[in-house]
Amino acid sequence: MLFSLRELVQWLGFATFELFLHLAAILVFSMLVALRADMFTPTLSWWLVFVPLFAADGLSTYFTAIVSIRLYQENEKRLAVLRLLWVLTVLSLKLVCEVLLCQKLVEQEQARDLWFGLIVSPLFILLQFLMIRACRVN
Amino acid sequence: MSLAQRVLLTWGFTLVFLIMLVVKLDGKVQWNWFLIFLPVWVFDGILVIMMAVKMAGRCKPGYDPRNGSPDLRLRAWYLAAMLLKLGFCLTLCAKLEGLADIKLTLVCVPLWTMLLGALVELGLNIFPERREV
Repeated sequence: MLFSLRELVQWLGFATFELFLHLAAILVFSMLVALRADMFTPTLSWWLVFVPLFAADGLSTYFTAIVSIRLYQENEKRLAVLRLLWVLTVLSLKLVCEVLLCQKLVEQEQARDLWFGLIVSPLFILLQFLMIRACRVN
Repeated sequence: MSLAQRVLLTWGFTLVFLIMLVVKLDGKVQWNWFLIFLPVWVFDGILVIMMAVKMAGRCKPGYDPRNGSPDLRLRAWYLAAMLLKLGFCLTLCAKLEGLADIKLTLVCVPLWTMLLGALVELGLNIFPERREV
């Protein structure tokens, strides 16, 4: 569309398989959110709704660890460390945002101090990192 | 458009949309949801126009289809995906504004169609079809 797959992989620093994994997780997550919001499954906890996203983060971390170990073994030490650092930074920022959002949804009234600006702040930091990375890729 | 320009365009619109969304969700402003989604409308509008122009360019006399650009089928899918995303955002805004009393499951149908299509396309890239030599 606006970016080719190759450009996206270069910019985001994730392999195609990882992008596939996260997209599949978003699909399942959106289905669970719709089911929960429409009260088809009112007993479903918000933590369970977020499980696909947490699982995708975990699997992506595992995949990155394997790739980094392989790169390290093949004497691409700098590349291995850089890839590991980048992916872990992105995934941890994403995870913090997800956990805060889930917390907010679970404790609607009790979590009044947890305003949305705070919840989305990891995404703002991530956007700055992506801009810096875009300059490097370009 | 160069990669830097495309990145800047995406980054700028995402940042503005996120800021407007946060301001609205925190109750600092009482703007209409359609106004909050303004960066999405503008960005999608730019993309649809760009795609339509590129598709129209193929109809020019003397166009060589072997110049490396994606085929018409792929471009048609991109256009359909954009329209599905626009449909999702429009129905979501209508629901949030209370203009339409529809279930979120129905609102999400265009989004799911688009995501499924994107998954198929990504899957084809991960596991390319083996061709006989």
